[in-house]
Amino acid sequence: MNPQSIFGDLLQTQYQIWLLKGFLVTLEVTVLVIPAASFLGFLTAIARNSRWRALAWGTASLVSLLRNSPLLVQLFFWYFGASAVLPDGVRDWLNDTHVAVLFGVPIEWPSYEFVCGVFGLVLYSAAYVSEEIRAGMRGVPKSQRYAAQALGLRPVQVFRYVILPQAFRISLPTLMGQYMNIVKNSSLTMAIGVMEISYASRQVESVTFKTFQAFGMATLFYIMIIAVIEVLAQFLQRHFPVAGARR
Amino acid sequence: MKLRSLALLGLLLVSGLAHADRLDDIKKAGVLRVAAFDGNPPFGYIDEQSKKIVGLDVDYAEAFAKKLGVKLELVPTNPANRIPLLTSNKVDLVFANFTITEERAKVVDFSIPYIASGQQFLARKGFLKSPDQIGGLKVGADKGTTMESTLREKYPSAKVISYDDTPFALAALRNGNVQAITQDGTKLVALLANLPDKSKYEVSPFAISEELEGVGIPKGETRLVSYINDWLREAEKDGTAQKIYDKYFGPKSKSPLPRLFKIGESHIREK
Amino acid sequence: MDFTIIRSNLAYLLWGTWPDGPIGGAALTLILSVGSALVSGVLGLGLGVALAMSSQRLRIVLTAVLGFFRAIPVLMLIFWTYFLLPLAFGIDVPGVLSVMFSLSLIGGAYLSHSVYAGIRGIAKGQWEAGLSVGLTRGAVLRHVVLPQALRMMLPSFINQWVSLIKDTSLAYIVGVGELSFLAAQVNSRTMVYPAEVFLFVGMIYFTICCGLDLLARQTLRRHEGRAR
Repeated sequence: MNPQSIFGDLLQTQYQIWLLKGFLVTLEVTVLVIPAASFLGFLTAIARNSRWRALAWGTASLVSLLRNSPLLVQLFFWYFGASAVLPDGVRDWLNDTHVAVLFGVPIEWPSYEFVCGVFGLVLYSAAYVSEEIRAGMRGVPKSQRYAAQALGLRPVQVFRYVILPQAFRISLPTLMGQYMNIVKNSSLTMAIGVMEISYASRQVESVTFKTFQAFGMATLFYIMIIAVIEVLAQFLQRHFPVAGARR
Repeated sequence: MKLRSLALLGLLLVSGLAHADRLDDIKKAGVLRVAAFDGNPPFGYIDEQSKKIVGLDVDYAEAFAKKLGVKLELVPTNPANRIPLLTSNKVDLVFANFTITEERAKVVDFSIPYIASGQQFLARKGFLKSPDQIGGLKVGADKGTTMESTLREKYPSAKVISYDDTPFALAALRNGNVQAITQDGTKLVALLANLPDKSKYEVSPFAISEELEGVGIPKGETRLVSYINDWLREAEKDGTAQKIYDKYFGPKSKSPLPRLFKIGESHIREK
Repeated sequence: MDFTIIRSNLAYLLWGTWPDGPIGGAALTLILSVGSALVSGVLGLGLGVALAMSSQRLRIVLTAVLGFFRAIPVLMLIFWTYFLLPLAFGIDVPGVLSVMFSLSLIGGAYLSHSVYAGIRGIAKGQWEAGLSVGLTRGAVLRHVVLPQALRMMLPSFINQWVSLIKDTSLAYIVGVGELSFLAAQVNSRTMVYPAEVFLFVGMIYFTICCGLDLLARQTLRRHEGRAR
């Protein structure tokens, strides 16, 4: 056993660049998934409170399906299973490279793996986000709704101006926890070939055999992102305190 | 931090000394722990009936365990786990279509090669005609294989997507996510033979490198290395090697392929 | 969709090659889940109590350590324990144990915070009342605070355990023959029915997770009924 290969020299620049690229992909995934999952989760939360029984029941069972099976299996299903069912035209389009030019900057359509990974992660995370938002809405005392109705606000107004802002504040801490989970869960997309940081660390490890450095760097990157979200969460919680909560 | 690494280093040295000779350890334990593929026919795969790992590499491992007079214990692996399994002492040997490279030889030892092949491609029939096309393709490979790095070096413009194991890459090819997958020619031929719609695909007529595959052995176990090498040469002489090859690639097998490499040689013979 | 592939591999997916070989498949998933659920529960309870009862300084250290386990992906921790513990310390941790170890640590780190929050959520008056009748701090914790706090925490324990069950699927990365790993194997061998295989496997996880959820809800309801 060669101790040098474990603790010895740092990784060469070339491999650090691989890791950095992976880190950027992890960031991209995170930045795309968080707003998309939040929006979808929000819609889902509303649908589950719908007066239409079928809609409420349908979304509830979908959420349950997504929450109670492993993300890894879901990703495999979307990538290997569902793409076998897609019409050939759609699949070919997704697999081809497309370049759009936006303000003179060429923007490449992401790889199919990336699209699939983001898609799977959005669905999975939206199910969790919707639960947090629902919990937040339930946390708003009923008396608030009655008071607002008594003031003559329409149901939509009650929702928009009374329920929502408070629900947002109540669910903020757990919502931030879900965002951290999104960062961590993005590591699973490596199984379907998304070249994010875990994928890159595995790759660097298999070429350089510097297991310690490769995983160490990746771990540090994760901790960095989580720390940033944590700081953001503290900041937001200070700015949007729950009404009536003692500070 | 520095102190801790020093302490770790000390521990390492001690544990390094404690494992002076693996060959004796294996005999004493009565068990040979071997990492083999579980999803790569015909080298290592799960048999449909017995649900046990079988294959060409497994046959070699079994023959070696028999020679030592110990029990064989198989640990399933994917390509990327092979070296970590060896260096973290989870297995004694790797029999998993393990290509010998200079880079790898810095961290693990290799026996002399017992099988060889070229790196080839599998794509839709008639699609891939010359190596020049590869630079513009999306190619599926396995994480932690030589295929992946050779491809990156020789065709930097190709888009390489790496999967945990060959079957995933194959599924991606079938779904059209990649246009070709790359592997040892031997492995591709066998993969193709197992496909239900094999007439739609073909193995590329060209190879971009020569792969010599040996047994992976923990670094520094010189006695074990020479013991394995002697056994391999013997297996060639007494016909065991030919018998194992014929079982998977012989004229009566599912994927017949002429044997262009014999143990003890250093290159594949020209066809 | 063609589910004959599932029928011909059903026994393999459910319990591997057992009793001829090692136990695997859904049965191993259950073993992994139950094992790490127990250990994470004990860890979470112990660390949560430690957080609540310790001095300010110790609490900061503990929070930082727990924060590390909450910040890294399960996948990374599995890599660390599986490949790096043996490399660094010369301890060989078998695959099943290293997965259990990782899942327990991460689960325990999360649970300890719920336990801590649960203990803090019990009104000060309860502590004071307990101490004033002459109980020690430990006794108040054991007989007054924890029984109430645990009831409040049950939902977060269940949530954590459900994610634990799902996370056992990550064992596939280090070659532990649990359900997802065997599913990938079956998928590898047959290659043409990925949708069917993963759909079926997803349903097994779903059944296990929902079963736990239902059970927990029933227990909770029974408890609440008694409390009223």
